Amino acid sequence: MVLVAGYPLVSFSQAEKDKVELLRVSFINKKLDLTNAESEKFWPVYNEYNDKIKAIRKNLRQSYRRSPEQLSEAEAEELYLLDIKSKQAEVDVHKQYGDKIKGIIGVKKSVRLKVAEEEFKREIINSIREKSD
Amino acid sequence: MKGVAHITKTLIFLGVNFLFFHDLRSQDSTGVLKIELPKHYFNTVFVLDVYRKPETKIKDTIDYQSKRLKTYGVKQFDLSFYTPLFTTETHPDSSTISNTHILLTGNYSVLRPVFEGIEQHKLAKIGIGIRYIYNTGKKGVLFVDAAPFVTRDATYRSRGYFRLASTIVYSHNATAWLNWRLGVTKSFLWGNRFYWPFIGLRFGRLDKVNFSIQFPRSINLNMPVNSKLVFSIYTKPQGGMYNFSNHDSLDSRKTESTFNFTRYEINTGLRCDVRTGPKFNFYIALGVSSRNNITFYSEKANKARPRAPYRTYFYSQDLASTLYLNFGLVFKFGKTRSYYNNKNLYDAMNLNSTISGDGNAQIPLTPQRKSDINLESVRDLVDYNDF
Repeated sequence: MVLVAGYPLVSFSQAEKDKVELLRVSFINKKLDLTNAESEKFWPVYNEYNDKIKAIRKNLRQSYRRSPEQLSEAEAEELYLLDIKSKQAEVDVHKQYGDKIKGIIGVKKSVRLKVAEEEFKREIINSIREKSD
Repeated sequence: MKGVAHITKTLIFLGVNFLFFHDLRSQDSTGVLKIELPKHYFNTVFVLDVYRKPETKIKDTIDYQSKRLKTYGVKQFDLSFYTPLFTTETHPDSSTISNTHILLTGNYSVLRPVFEGIEQHKLAKIGIGIRYIYNTGKKGVLFVDAAPFVTRDATYRSRGYFRLASTIVYSHNATAWLNWRLGVTKSFLWGNRFYWPFIGLRFGRLDKVNFSIQFPRSINLNMPVNSKLVFSIYTKPQGGMYNFSNHDSLDSRKTESTFNFTRYEINTGLRCDVRTGPKFNFYIALGVSSRNNITFYSEKANKARPRAPYRTYFYSQDLASTLYLNFGLVFKFGKTRSYYNNKNLYDAMNLNSTISGDGNAQIPLTPQRKSDINLESVRDLVDYNDF
């Protein structure tokens, strides 16, 4: 019973993350208006792309957890380089998967995808702002 | 006992392999940054399932066994799990991702048939198996399941019997709304070891309202209400084959220390799946259990009789319909790769659920509105520059 009662509480934060992910996916799905054939190929590739981008950002975020005052000169240098490498890795992943996605849904829908991602971010930011006001 | 030893050896072999593959896959990274992505698409899932059917009077007054047994009811507890051991991905072309999944499955169940006239028996089943799923990345999913198990009457000293349930199915996603499946299955759900063709047809998306016929396992109408609640109207067989001690001398041949007890019923009811979070869900089902049948037979004795089929019953009884109650807890562990809108992976997960009964716990259902979102939850989506 302890296990049953305590278990869902541990995963609360993950639940919220999943919820946002699902909303984003639903938003993009609606905006792109993919055909069956496009959807079949697009989503596995786009999911993989997203997993990689998220992993890069998470890795960088975790490295910034320590306060800059606590870092030695060498550690600060390492963090500075990691930041640059992370940005470069994001560009590489974006280029690699961007080409694949363009091959699947075409260049126009690739642009619409970028716009849809930005629109969703804006909607999320606005909803957070509204909530905090 | 030979069966138990066999399962133990299989378990050790799989355990060693799991450790080996685990180590191998943990080297995966996104390049210079050595970033690890989750290795698998499947969660590790544990399902605790409780099933109850109240006692009903055995009306027959002719058979000796009927007079002895008096009533029949069912109390069943089942603990099952599956865990991904190995996942590998290939890219047949630049726009296709196909993947292979190997899962370890396990099951422990205890059935207490309630016969008022004799002492209660505890019939145990324990099994461990392997599941192979291949997603072509195009329209098809191949599913192979081998689930060996041992059944024995745990109440009295009795010998365990080794059995094997298995399924091989090819599933084809014509579109996200239409799927067909074809294969063969050796299942004990209909009370004995039956070899059936597996024929499936589904209309509707797996994350929306859908109607599915999966012969010989189930017919379902699934209706997600929102991202947390799914109602299903279904009909499915429930049953099994167990080793039963002859302690009560139900088999008049005193030479037989055990015999086979088989049961099946067709359950038609309403099930409600509640997803409280990504790591936990539970379900409750209630309905009518009809076409209840129980049999006793001795395979050993039948073998000694020339031309007698192996399942020549010395007792078979059809019983009146009753209500039934089914309740289950589903726990999911581990992080997975993303598979949103990936209809082949949804299909693979649904096939997995069809066999494991976890109610498609992994297939995400889209929430209706974006309320209660905090900053922490969107960090992966929003960059610092966006503010």
